[in-house]
Amino acid sequence: MTSVMTRTVARLLLLPTLVTALAILVKGYTQPGDGFSAGVVAALGVLLQLMVFGREEAEKIPGVRQAGTLAFVGLLAALVLAVVPLLLGDPLLTHYPSPGSGVLHFGTLEFVTAVLFDCAVFLLVFGFVVGTVGAISRAIEAADREEDPS
Amino acid sequence: MASPVLLPLLLALLAAPAVLLAGTFGVRSAAPTGAAFAALAFGATLWGWMSGGGAVDLAWAPSWDLRLHLELDGLATLYALLATGIGFAVLAYSSRYLPLHLEHQGRPASDGVGFYFFILLFMGSMVGLAMAQDLILLFVFWDLTAIASYYLIGFDRQDAESRASALMALLVTGVTAVLLLIGALLLYAAHGTFSVPELAERVGPGPLLTTAGGLIAVAGLAKSAQVPLHFWLPRAMAAPTPVSAYLHSAAMVAAGVLLLGRVYPLLQKSEVLLDSLLIVGLLSMAVGGILALTRDVLKQLLAYSTISQYGYVVVMYGLGGEYGAVGASFYVLAHALCKSALFLTAGAVTEATGEDRLSGVGGLRRPMPLLAAGSGAAAAGLAALPLTVGFFKDELFFAAALERGPVFAGLAVLGAALTFAYAWRFWGGIFTGDQVSEAKRMPGPLVWPVVALGGLALFGGIFVGPYLGLALAAGSDSLGAPASVSAAYHLDARPENLMALGTYALGGLIVVARPLWVGMALALSRFGERVGPERLYGLTLRGLNALSDVVHRAEARDLRSRVAAILLPGGVLIGIGILVTPTAGTYRVGEVRLQDVPLLLALVPLAVAALTTTITKRHVTLALVLSSAGFMLALVYAFFGAPDVALVAVLVETVLTLLFLGTLRLIPYRVLHRQAELPTEKRLRKVFFATVAGASTFAVVWATLSRPAVENSVAKEHLRLTPDAHAKDTVTAILADFRGLDTMGEISVVALVLLAVVTLLRGGRLR
Repeated sequence: MTSVMTRTVARLLLLPTLVTALAILVKGYTQPGDGFSAGVVAALGVLLQLMVFGREEAEKIPGVRQAGTLAFVGLLAALVLAVVPLLLGDPLLTHYPSPGSGVLHFGTLEFVTAVLFDCAVFLLVFGFVVGTVGAISRAIEAADREEDPS
Repeated sequence: MASPVLLPLLLALLAAPAVLLAGTFGVRSAAPTGAAFAALAFGATLWGWMSGGGAVDLAWAPSWDLRLHLELDGLATLYALLATGIGFAVLAYSSRYLPLHLEHQGRPASDGVGFYFFILLFMGSMVGLAMAQDLILLFVFWDLTAIASYYLIGFDRQDAESRASALMALLVTGVTAVLLLIGALLLYAAHGTFSVPELAERVGPGPLLTTAGGLIAVAGLAKSAQVPLHFWLPRAMAAPTPVSAYLHSAAMVAAGVLLLGRVYPLLQKSEVLLDSLLIVGLLSMAVGGILALTRDVLKQLLAYSTISQYGYVVVMYGLGGEYGAVGASFYVLAHALCKSALFLTAGAVTEATGEDRLSGVGGLRRPMPLLAAGSGAAAAGLAALPLTVGFFKDELFFAAALERGPVFAGLAVLGAALTFAYAWRFWGGIFTGDQVSEAKRMPGPLVWPVVALGGLALFGGIFVGPYLGLALAAGSDSLGAPASVSAAYHLDARPENLMALGTYALGGLIVVARPLWVGMALALSRFGERVGPERLYGLTLRGLNALSDVVHRAEARDLRSRVAAILLPGGVLIGIGILVTPTAGTYRVGEVRLQDVPLLLALVPLAVAALTTTITKRHVTLALVLSSAGFMLALVYAFFGAPDVALVAVLVETVLTLLFLGTLRLIPYRVLHRQAELPTEKRLRKVFFATVAGASTFAVVWATLSRPAVENSVAKEHLRLTPDAHAKDTVTAILADFRGLDTMGEISVVALVLLAVVTLLRGGRLR
C-alpha cells in the first residue's frame, strides 16, 4: 500500500492542482495555457487521488463519477456555442464581442465567448482523461475479482 | 421570419424523434403520434402553399458558399404533400399491419418503434429534399433517404435476403449519389454556386453541362430504378408491405424523378441529355412492363410495374415541353395515389389469406367487397380508365408524345397498353374468378387507407382541377417558365382520345392473347437474370470482397504488419518525391551557436531514448522509455521558446504514460511476461521497415527546417489578428477562435474515443 508520506502529499496537492487548472483556464487567453491544458491538469490532480486512495475514495470528489457525462456536456456546450451565431445571422462559431468593441475585464480575465468555448474544451478533456482511466481501473477491479473471488 | 415555409419541414423532421419519445412511454402510442405529425406536416404544407409559398435562404458556411436554401414552390409542395399525405395513410395502415407482421416473425412489439422512426425519418428527408434548392443540401437529404431506406428494407433483419436487399438498395443509390455530388462540384467549379435557380441562369449548353447534368441524372435514374439500374427495386420487396407502398409511391423512387424535375432547368438545355432520358425511359417502360406480366408474386408484379411507370415519367421529361414537364408531375401524383393503394391491397390480401402469389388467390371480391372496390378504383386509375385521375395522366402523356411525332405516339400507346394489361392482371387475378383460398376478416385500418386512396383517384377523375393546379405549378418550376396545359374530357375524335381507345383495345388483346406471348416474356426474364445488370452487381461485389480480403491479409494481419503497411509505402513515396524534386539548397546545415547548446543537450537523451525503444523487451519498460522520450521532446520545445507546446507535451505525455500502464495492467502478467521472452522473428525485415521509415522522415524534417521562413505567412496573419480576438496568447486564440472549427472536430473525435473505450472495456455495454 502507499506510504503515509504519499498519502499526505497527495491530499495536500489536490486543491492546489485544481486551483492551478482554474488559473490556466481563465488566464488562457492572455498567457500560455488553454482549456486543454487546464483539463489535463485538473484530471491529473484527480488521478493522483485515484492512485493513492483508490477509485472509491476518488469518486467522492464531485464530478469524478460523472466524468463521462461531463465530457459530453462539454461537447454539447461547444456545439451550442458554434451554432448560436447562425441564429444571429453570423457564420458558424463566431465569437462575441466582435473585433474592436470593448470587453469586460475582471483582472486578467476577459469576458469573451471564446473563453466559454475553452471551458467546453476543458470539460471534455477532463471528462475524457478521468473517464478513460476510471473505466480502465474499473475493468482491472473486475478482472481481479474474477481471479480472486474472496 | 418566413415561418410558414419552414413549418412543414420542421414538423416532418420532428416527427421521427417525437415517435421515439412516444415509444418510450408505450409502443401503442408510437403510430398515432407519427400519424399526427404526418397529418400536421401535410396541413402545414397545404397552408404554406395556399399562403403563397416562400423561401428561406440562410448562409450557414458562407466561405464555402453553402446555403440552407429552402423554397416551398410548386414542385416542393407536390412532393411534400405526397410524402406527408401518403405517409399518413401508410402509418394508419401500419398501426394494424405491423403488430401482425411482428407477431408472425416472433419479434417483440417494441421493434415497431424503430420502424415508425425510420418511416418518419424518410418522410422528413423527403420533405427536405423536395424543398432544397441548393445542390449540396439536396445531396444531404438524398443520402438521408438512402439511410432510412436501408433500415426499412432490412427491417426483417433476421432474414439474410432482407439484409442483402437492403445493402443492394443502399449501394446502388448510395454509389450513384456520389455522382450527384461530383456533378454539383463540377457545376460549382465552373459557375461558383450550388443554387439550382442561379445555375439555371448562368449555365449555357456545352460539354460541362452535359457531363454534370448527366452525372446528376444518373443519380436520379438509379433512385427511380430505371434500366439498367433497376434491379434493386424488385429485391427491395423484402421490406414489410407498408414500406414498399411508401417507397414506391411517395418516397425513395419518387425522389429520383423529383431530382430530375428539380434540375430540369439545367437538363433541358442539352439535347443529348433529353434524348438519353427518352431512351432510358422507353427501355424501362418495356422491361418493367413485360416483366410485370410474368411475375406471380403480387409485390414483384407491382415492383416491375413501378419501374415501367417511372419509365413514363422519365420519357415525359425526355420529351420535354409544357406537356412533358407538367405531365411528368401529374403522372407522379396520379401514380402515387394508385400504386400505394395497390401495395396496401397486396399486404391486406396476403394478411387475409396467407398467400402472396397471384396463383394462390382469386375471387376475393365476395369476402372483401370494400377492398375490391377501393383497389379497383386504384387499378382503374393505373390503367387510365375514364372517370379516374389516371385518364388525364395518359391524356397528358399522349399529348406530349404526339408533339414529338407518330413514332413516339405509337410507343406511348404500346406502353400504356402494357400498363392496362398488368393493372388488370393484378386486380382481376385477385378479385375475379373462383375463390381458391380462405380469407380472414380484415380489421378496418387495413382496408380504409386503400378505400381512401382509391377514392382520391376517383375524385381526381371528376374534379381534376386541384391535381392539375399542383402539377402545373410543379411543371412550371421544372420548365423555369409558367406552363398552361389543360386536361378535360372531350367527347370528340381528337388524337388523344383515339389513342386512349387504342390503348384499351390493345391492352385487352394482350390480356386475352396471354398464351401466345407468355413463353417469350418468360424467356426474356430468364435472359435478364443470366446476363443482366444484377449479375454484374453480384460479380463486382464478390470481386471487391475478395480484393478486400487480400488487402486485409497483407496489411492488417497483426499490429506490426499494419504499422509496416503505413510506414513502408509512406517511406517509399517520400523517397520517390525526394528523387524527382531538385534538392539544391534544400538540405542545409546551419551554424551551431552558443545558445543552442542546451537544445543539443536535450536532444542527446531524446536520441538515446529513441534508440533504446528498439532493444527494449519488457512492455512496462518500453512504455516508460517512450514517455521519457516524450518528456525530452517537451524540453526541446521549451528551449525553442514554445511554452504552450511544451506545456501540452508534458501533460499529454503524463496522461499517455498512465494510459499505457493502465492498459498493460489489464493484460495478465503471465501473458506479458511470456510475450516479452519470445525471440524476435524476421529481424532483418523489421530493421529494413524501420530504417526506410526513419530515413524518409529524417529527410522530410531536415528539408522543412532548411527552408527559409516564408514572408507574410499564416503565422504573421494570426499574430496580427490576435488583438482583434481580444486575446494576448496567439496559440489559444488560434485554437478557440481562428481555427475553432478544427477544434470542434477534434473534440468530437475525443468524445467518440471516450465512448469507444468505455464500450470496449464494458464488453459492448454502456451501462
